[in-house]
Amino acid sequence: MKDPRDVFICRCEEVTLREIEEAIEEGYTTVDDVKRITRAGMGLCQGRSCSKVIARLISEKTGIPLSDLLQTGYRYPVRPEKMMVLDNDGEGDE
Amino acid sequence: MNRIFEHPILGPLEDTELVRIFVDGEPVEARKGEVIAAALIATGKQYFRKTIKLQEPRGIYCGIGRCTDCVMTVNGVPNVRTCVTEVEEGMVIETQLGYGKWGRGINS
Repeated sequence: MKDPRDVFICRCEEVTLREIEEAIEEGYTTVDDVKRITRAGMGLCQGRSCSKVIARLISEKTGIPLSDLLQTGYRYPVRPEKMMVLDNDGEGDE
Repeated sequence: MNRIFEHPILGPLEDTELVRIFVDGEPVEARKGEVIAAALIATGKQYFRKTIKLQEPRGIYCGIGRCTDCVMTVNGVPNVRTCVTEVEEGMVIETQLGYGKWGRGINS
């Protein structure tokens, strides 16, 4: 069987638990740090699946409280939308 | 065919209008109003795209439009989330390789 550390944490950018743990061990101890080093959270879904998992991994490894690690400033759009929804006439001309 | 006709909670499947979609060139009958992913799973297709880094197959994962694992090229537009996009008559759906390309018939 495959090593359990080869499980994907960031499915979009295909970043494994091993890569994220190694980054944390090297001293990257915020979700943003891990993102910039491993690309976890930079894929299509923009960290919607993995950012909370990464925050928990950092918290478990470093003892930093989880509330200090979770991303506070979410930017719009909260979920991916097509540009046509911003179109004023609502006709959806692409 | 993996379509569920007798659901233990939802009951029997009601008759609906059918639409014809094309999946990698093959015509497939889908139920009007269902999402692309549902139509593909009903035909037994589980492999929706191939990842760019490790070339691994991916299919439906979250099913609610968040994880983007189920994206395919639809009518020449890459990265369409098939779990939240409804089928339309004559829709051309293609298995996507990596980030995909714009245009029909050039992804696989």
